[in-house]
Amino acid sequence: MIRAVALLWSLGPLLWQLYTSLRPADALVSGPQGLGSPGGGIFGGWTLQNYSQLLAADPPFWRYLLNSAVVGVAGTALTLLLAIPCAYGLQQQRGALRWGTLALLLAASLFPTALLFLALLEWARQLGLGNHLLALALPYAALSLPLAILLLRAALADLPPELEDAARLEGLGPLQRLRFVLLPLLAPAIASTAILVFLFSWSEYPIALTWISRESLLTLSAAIARIGASSVFTIPYGAFAAATVLGSLPLVLLLLLFQRAIVSGLTQGAVKG
Amino acid sequence: MTAWLLMLPALTLLAVVFLAPLARYAWLSAHATSVLTALEPVANGGANWLRLAQDGRFWQDAGQTLRFAAVSVGLELLLGLALALLLRGPRGGRAAGGGLRTAVLLPWALPATVMALGWRWIYNEPHGPLNSLLIAAGLPPYPFLSTPASTWFAVVVADVWRSTPFVALLLLAGLQAIPPELEEALVLEGADRWQILRRLLLPLLSPWIGLAALFRLAQALGVFDLIQVLTGGGPAGSTESLALYAYLNAMRFLDFGYGATVLLATFLLLLLPGLLWLMWQRRAGSAA
Amino acid sequence: MSLGLLLGVALPHSLAAGAVPSPLTVRVLMPASFADATAEPVKRFNVAHRDLQVEVVRGPLDGDTLSDLAVSGLLLGDTPYDLLLIDQTWTARYAAAGWLAPLEPLLGEDALDGMVAGARLATRFDGHLWRFPLQGDTGLLYWRTDLMDRPPRDTAELESISRRLQRHGRVRWGYLWQGRQYEGLSCVVSEALQAFGAHWWEPGRGVVGGRPSLEGPEAVAAVRWLQHLILSGISPPAVVGFAENEALQLFAAGEAAFLRNWPYAYALLQEGGGPVAGHVGVTTLVGAPGQRGAGTLGSWGLALLRSSPHPREAASVLRWLGGEEVQRHLAQRYGYAPTWTSLYEDESLQRDLPLLAVQRRALEGAVVRPVTPLYAQLSDVLQRQVNGLLSGGGSPAAAITTSQGQSELVLRAAAGTTG
Repeated sequence: MIRAVALLWSLGPLLWQLYTSLRPADALVSGPQGLGSPGGGIFGGWTLQNYSQLLAADPPFWRYLLNSAVVGVAGTALTLLLAIPCAYGLQQQRGALRWGTLALLLAASLFPTALLFLALLEWARQLGLGNHLLALALPYAALSLPLAILLLRAALADLPPELEDAARLEGLGPLQRLRFVLLPLLAPAIASTAILVFLFSWSEYPIALTWISRESLLTLSAAIARIGASSVFTIPYGAFAAATVLGSLPLVLLLLLFQRAIVSGLTQGAVKG
Repeated sequence: MTAWLLMLPALTLLAVVFLAPLARYAWLSAHATSVLTALEPVANGGANWLRLAQDGRFWQDAGQTLRFAAVSVGLELLLGLALALLLRGPRGGRAAGGGLRTAVLLPWALPATVMALGWRWIYNEPHGPLNSLLIAAGLPPYPFLSTPASTWFAVVVADVWRSTPFVALLLLAGLQAIPPELEEALVLEGADRWQILRRLLLPLLSPWIGLAALFRLAQALGVFDLIQVLTGGGPAGSTESLALYAYLNAMRFLDFGYGATVLLATFLLLLLPGLLWLMWQRRAGSAA
Repeated sequence: MSLGLLLGVALPHSLAAGAVPSPLTVRVLMPASFADATAEPVKRFNVAHRDLQVEVVRGPLDGDTLSDLAVSGLLLGDTPYDLLLIDQTWTARYAAAGWLAPLEPLLGEDALDGMVAGARLATRFDGHLWRFPLQGDTGLLYWRTDLMDRPPRDTAELESISRRLQRHGRVRWGYLWQGRQYEGLSCVVSEALQAFGAHWWEPGRGVVGGRPSLEGPEAVAAVRWLQHLILSGISPPAVVGFAENEALQLFAAGEAAFLRNWPYAYALLQEGGGPVAGHVGVTTLVGAPGQRGAGTLGSWGLALLRSSPHPREAASVLRWLGGEEVQRHLAQRYGYAPTWTSLYEDESLQRDLPLLAVQRRALEGAVVRPVTPLYAQLSDVLQRQVNGLLSGGGSPAAAITTSQGQSELVLRAAAGTTG
């Protein structure tokens, strides 16, 4: 019973968007939520028009999903490239240095990123980084680094030290040890971290909002906000709902595929971090 | 030595993106950097801070943001605990399956702006689903998003919906770290669920609760995405958050200096949950 | 050789066939309402001109949202428009930011000479012409022709007529206006200040454009009058939450003798079929006895972006869009007040538009909100103080003094000390 409530609470709002997105505009504004719509109540008046509107728009909706994917992949790659060596190096440190750095990283990870938009906007202006999708990977990587480093260091700490000792005895240098011995063992943690970082990139809004102004380059978050502010649609709710559904689809898929990795990443990181 | 080299690129980027802005804000807040100065800093003798002190809109937004954060996080902790217990399942029983966990995680995984647009429809008066329910029940429709008294709470609900899974996951991790023998011992003594909760789970969970509260409070004080898309700060600025005010100052009023001042003031406000957390830790530590 | 001959014949032919150069497109960003209103003339223009096309980009309905959209690109130095339709209160801000190109080199110093005096307000700043007004709406006073013989001549008469009607139970309320904390309240306060001989802003030279002048007994009297309207029951206490719509609806239901609103309300009242249809008169806003009343100018105008790759063509499109043809269409179909004197003297328009004469009088004497890059912040200060006064009580003098003090602080914080 309680599980049903939890399910309803979690999925209800999104399911309602799905329902709304499939109704034509006049059905939405007539009677209680289209349950008494013209054309025969709940079984009348279904349409895919809202979706076709979005996909036929200029630029088409899938463009925004593509932009977010590009930024997400680039940001995740850059994050891992920087975080893995950093976590490894951090794990080598001892004492106050390690705990101090960890504390600072923790503080950075809970910093609300919206507060950084102004300084980052200044850089975008001065360095001409505006309206370049790949340029977004830089701030995104920086904002994901604290969490990534914390998670990866925790995973490294979990590994039995004998493995590295054995490798060191065999004459492998630190980079080689990292690459050949530790990385393969870290793979699950890296996967979890990568997904979490990717999720963050998809969700990020203030920086995407200020760094990108050209419509064809907007990421999903910024595009949805702009759609919500525009008046292209007369009764916009069907289109808004369709945008919400389309915008959620990739993440729902991601979640379905990687739920276990996400949960373990967060909980393990929390336990060890 | 190699350790430092390995850490250097990441730490450099971090310093550039986290520390440099704060320093820059401090600099900007001490200068006039606005459309009047062609967005170049010109000394203004601390006038930004003087203005902040008297700025009714800033203090109103600060109060609103604090209220939003406190109520949101409070509700998230309560619901998150309930959800974590649900996900863990009855002791000795089966933990919640992947399906339930996926569903529970969904609100948190969706981008904030995407569902904010969705909530605008849900709250819509008179056609949205909530009002349709009211009408179906014979009640008059209620303008959730047009009445200052209710809009802030509507925003809280949207935020709680989104962030509770995160809190639940953290608390779940904490619950899973509790050795089951302790619980079993209490069960053998005849304690019921509430007593187990009060005497065992809550005290052992307190560092986790503290951590979740810290995270969520910090994030909530910087709330931007949800507010901007769901209400735009309205009606009549009653849901405007500090981050949104800073954004408006920079992007709409073209006053970067004052925007930086508001951001810096918000950051100082952030230290508050940090202090609270430290106090909580110390108290928890001394009690243990 | 025959190949050369072939090519020699073929080439000029293909050049001739493909000789139509791709048309130059001038892109204009407008709020949705104006984009819809100008759609027809624009379509005709595009059909008539093969080499020059106008593309109207339909922006958000809300003014501020439109500005945010434009600014996001302008701040990054990457904007896809040539022309913007801007609200008059943005003129100084956009100009000071260096985003606009001055119009007088392209259109001549006398570009606006054929316009009614009030329409030329908020078009120049810091020595240049930046905005070409498309319409010239002003605040107007609506009155009930079935309840009185003629409209009031000053605020004292407005009050006495209201009281009389209320006492006899003819109407519940006397005067409805916009008192919510938003830009509309700034317009109302601006009109009240004018009505009592006070001024919000003292224009001056330089990039700030002047200084706030909310001081003196006249300014206090203006704000005190607004408070008095509520305290004496002439205006409902709910007016502190009214925007244009709420005030209009209450007036349309027959509940009040007077309404302050924009010209668009007239058609809605007359055609709404409610109790007041056919009994609505419109006149200019009143001042205190001995003072001249005036309505606030609410005007959108076209501006040329400095970044436009073809300023000459864009300027010619700007001149056409703001010209008589389009303005006639806007006036006739949508009731927007034109800015050209010739249109006000046009007989067919005078026949079709009952409000035209009043709109001209109102436009000639319109009061303009401060023309300064800091207008948005100053408006916020004044709205906050006055709405606070009206809904929470307090002293009008304190509200004025605080407004002035905070306005000066805003200036100092944004302008810096010059030594």
